[in-house]
Amino acid sequence: MEDTGVHLRGVTKDFGAVQVIRGVDIDIERGQFAVFVGPSGCGKSTLLRMIAGLEETSGGKIIISDRDVTDFDPADRGVAMVFQSYALYPHLSVFENMAFSLRLAKRPKAEVKDKVVEAAQILQLTDHLDKKPSQLSGGQRQRVAIGRAIVRDPDVFLFDEPLSNLDAELRVAMRLELARLHQKLGATMIYVTHDQVEAMTLADVIFVLQGGYVQQSGAPLDLYDDPSNRFVAGFIGSPSMNFFNATVEDRTDTGIRARLEGQPDVAFDVDLTAPPDPGATVVLGMRPEHLVVTEGEGMRVTVDVAEELGGVSYQHGTLDGGDPVIFQQTGARHNMHGTVQTVTPQTDRIFAFTPEGDRIR
Amino acid sequence: MSIATRRRREVRDAILLVAPFLIIFGVFFLYPTYKVIALSFTDAPLIGEGNWIGLDNYIKLFSDRLFYTSVWNNFYFVLLTVIPTTIIALLIALAVGKLKGRMQALVLTLFFLPYVLPVSVVTMIWAWMLDFQFGILQPLIEAVTGKPVPVFKNPYWVMPMIAVVTIWWTNGFNVLLFIAGLRNIPDDLYEAAALDGATAWQRFWRVTWPLLWPITALVLTLQLILQLKLFDQVYLLSNGGPFNSSYVVLMQMYREAFQLNNGGYASAIAMVLFGIIVIVSVLQFQLLRIGGRRK
Repeated sequence: MEDTGVHLRGVTKDFGAVQVIRGVDIDIERGQFAVFVGPSGCGKSTLLRMIAGLEETSGGKIIISDRDVTDFDPADRGVAMVFQSYALYPHLSVFENMAFSLRLAKRPKAEVKDKVVEAAQILQLTDHLDKKPSQLSGGQRQRVAIGRAIVRDPDVFLFDEPLSNLDAELRVAMRLELARLHQKLGATMIYVTHDQVEAMTLADVIFVLQGGYVQQSGAPLDLYDDPSNRFVAGFIGSPSMNFFNATVEDRTDTGIRARLEGQPDVAFDVDLTAPPDPGATVVLGMRPEHLVVTEGEGMRVTVDVAEELGGVSYQHGTLDGGDPVIFQQTGARHNMHGTVQTVTPQTDRIFAFTPEGDRIR
Repeated sequence: MSIATRRRREVRDAILLVAPFLIIFGVFFLYPTYKVIALSFTDAPLIGEGNWIGLDNYIKLFSDRLFYTSVWNNFYFVLLTVIPTTIIALLIALAVGKLKGRMQALVLTLFFLPYVLPVSVVTMIWAWMLDFQFGILQPLIEAVTGKPVPVFKNPYWVMPMIAVVTIWWTNGFNVLLFIAGLRNIPDDLYEAAALDGATAWQRFWRVTWPLLWPITALVLTLQLILQLKLFDQVYLLSNGGPFNSSYVVLMQMYREAFQLNNGGYASAIAMVLFGIIVIVSVLQFQLLRIGGRRK
């Protein structure tokens, strides 16, 4: 079978003296929903625009459907893009917006009509075909932009933060629609977002970008369960992971025993296959959902803000040493605000990192 | 404070704010306009009262052969300037739009510079450059026609040359309008069009041109009105000659009013020119609007 995936080999991008993409290798298989996620300025949009051909590639190769498209014009790459701003032609009707690429290619009228009507049906836009974009709501405009991409029948769909101009409720609804659309079309999709919730819910495979590098890639839950460095651990998961400095006190049979700095009476066992020497400094990472309130020994947290969401609540506080802590409670109305709580992590849910941020396994 | 007092204050403030404009508008625009209309029905000299003569001035005007020559020259000039200046300004704006940052500002300034000059300076510069004996442009004309041409004394050359001077003088402003219009078109639209497979030419005709149409219509309308009011350049460069071949309506009005002391007759000419400008520009605006809607 023909491989219609997207493959990047050592791709770099320079803007003058500044290198924003510093050698990226990416493999996206045919039909996968891939998400580039990262904080603003990490180069994720630039990378997407390079795949689209809207930015020149400074080095490396971009291969789409077995063709090296690095120097191809955007139109010849077999990609369609949905922009953050939708980029609809304001002077054209919804129909003509979706028909634009077919009109340029001078396709027969009947074919144009069939394709546009079919795409409009998929996206529930049939009643709006004669309207101008300015008469549509944000969600409808978004669908027209997607429709314009569908009509082109591309090998790869590219989405550049498509939901960030929508309000929260609509964003959730459109997220579901996109997931359904992906199932229905079965096409390869690459989606850029800074929102890790969008990334987790939509992706087959996530690429976490930062500083011009892919920090880690994999299935959403693999990144959550097994982050390869401190950045990914902190970026994936909401609210983000707690990090505490600790000193290796001793080696155990399965790993190390580490004592938190500023909390001399608390020490945790961490299972590691390559344990560092006693006396070394490590960073321990614990997710808010893995910290449980205990009657026994643990970290003493002074809770100053409680976010009650109904089903769960997030308790924000500080350790005695001043380190900020977030821990999660299931159910609401704990009235922990202003109290001192003792929490302890589930033992097999502690991650260890070097002070430089690399994972210790 | 009661509602009545507050309302009274608001009204007082409103009147205070509008009054300066209303007074100036009334004294310097409304009253003179009324005066011109009233004068056009009298045989008044430039200064002083005249007798009511009804429509005599208009009847005389419509049998005045010089008036038809002037109107014809006006429309000839409009033809020579309006569309060419719009096309040139659009081309310059498209080219300048490709430049970046300071270079763009510099080039834009260069194109805008002539617009800052007073008309007397502009005509002086061009009178020198086109001087029959010493003009630096005469070799160019000689190269094309085979002999030097005293352009402002030649009935075939005079109007086109005044048009060239006018376009050179006023083009910068139109370039500025087009640049502003081009900047209003988001880059995404061009990127989307590029992904849709549009060539540079298709991007212009299917994205730039339709989205720039309101600006184009504005430039065309402003130019039409401006060029129908042609006077200074003709007065300074050719004084209406040779053989009235550059005589225009405002020229005729000026001569009747300030040289022949026929205030009433000059007012009638002004009123007819006003009528022509209103009719033509409304007509053009409607045509452009229909053209815009069809796209």
